[in-house]
Amino acid sequence: MTDDRLVTAGEGTGHPRWVAGAPIPAPLRLHRATVQPSWVDYNRHMSESSYLLAFGDNADAFFRYIGIDEQYRADGHSLYTVETHLHHRREVGEGESLSMTLRVLDLDDKRVHVFHEMFLGDGGPLLATAEQMLVHVEMRAGRSAPMPRALARRLEAIHRAHAQLALPETVGRPMRINRA
Amino acid sequence: MGERPTPFSTYSTVVREEWLDYNGHMHDASYGIVFSDANEELFAALGLSVDYSATARASLYTVECHIRYLAECSLGQPLRAATIVVAADARKVRLYTELLHEDGRRAATGEFLYLHVDTALGATTAMPTDRHDRVQDMLGAHAGLPRPSHLGLGVGAPRAGLRDT
Repeated sequence: MTDDRLVTAGEGTGHPRWVAGAPIPAPLRLHRATVQPSWVDYNRHMSESSYLLAFGDNADAFFRYIGIDEQYRADGHSLYTVETHLHHRREVGEGESLSMTLRVLDLDDKRVHVFHEMFLGDGGPLLATAEQMLVHVEMRAGRSAPMPRALARRLEAIHRAHAQLALPETVGRPMRINRA
Repeated sequence: MGERPTPFSTYSTVVREEWLDYNGHMHDASYGIVFSDANEELFAALGLSVDYSATARASLYTVECHIRYLAECSLGQPLRAATIVVAADARKVRLYTELLHEDGRRAATGEFLYLHVDTALGATTAMPTDRHDRVQDMLGAHAGLPRPSHLGLGVGAPRAGLRDT
């Protein structure tokens, strides 16, 4: 590893960790960010890849919350993103503050289906959403692997806590051009 | 023309160090950079890129993006892109782009929906006729290309796409 590599906000400290028995927020609110100068494109709005970066940081905060950190990865396992579907609702410019939510929609022994929302500031309008499928992998073999029980139990608890939330309208919806 | 249709395939790149994540593979967001750059080359060919947005006070905004990550990419690997205009009208363009390794394996696929937006009004507006004609020409040229079975499916659809061509 060199210093040139992309270091995400989820790396390091500052994000909440799992506390056994503590109430689980629905949805989780683990990550905030400010739109960086390098995130905006020639239209002076946040670029596509910057949304992926910001949602990726939110996913990293979630990983840290459930216990997937440097040590967990050093032991050979991680969660990989296999699919991401972004919906953009509203443009956002440099210097604006962002707050993120994350909910667990579904899971099995290897996969976690999550949904992120990005809001302007605190309680501002919805800017974008991301639906993602994450897979637990054995990194050296490069293949999916069942999650250890301790991790699965945490995710099951989060899934139960999030079952009360209404299903977002875009979940599972394919992309198409609607003609009037 | 009578020629066999081919996807728009001018873009190629090499995986850069700053695109890697803590696992030493290309970060999710870096695929987004590559997809955006590849799609921008197509829009430049249609006269709908940076210069257009500066003079026309209109631009293509991404409203939806669906990426499937299929294979890891590591430092120094060459990548190329192949894009099909899947659907389009005067206000919307839908693209399907594959990122391919040197041996033809797919590293990722992306579906993108763009709206043509009047940047002053912040509302969709019809493209000028000349631009719309170019888009329709490319749409027509790509009409004969095979459509992958995973096109237009939601997240978590069965991964038949891993085996199709």
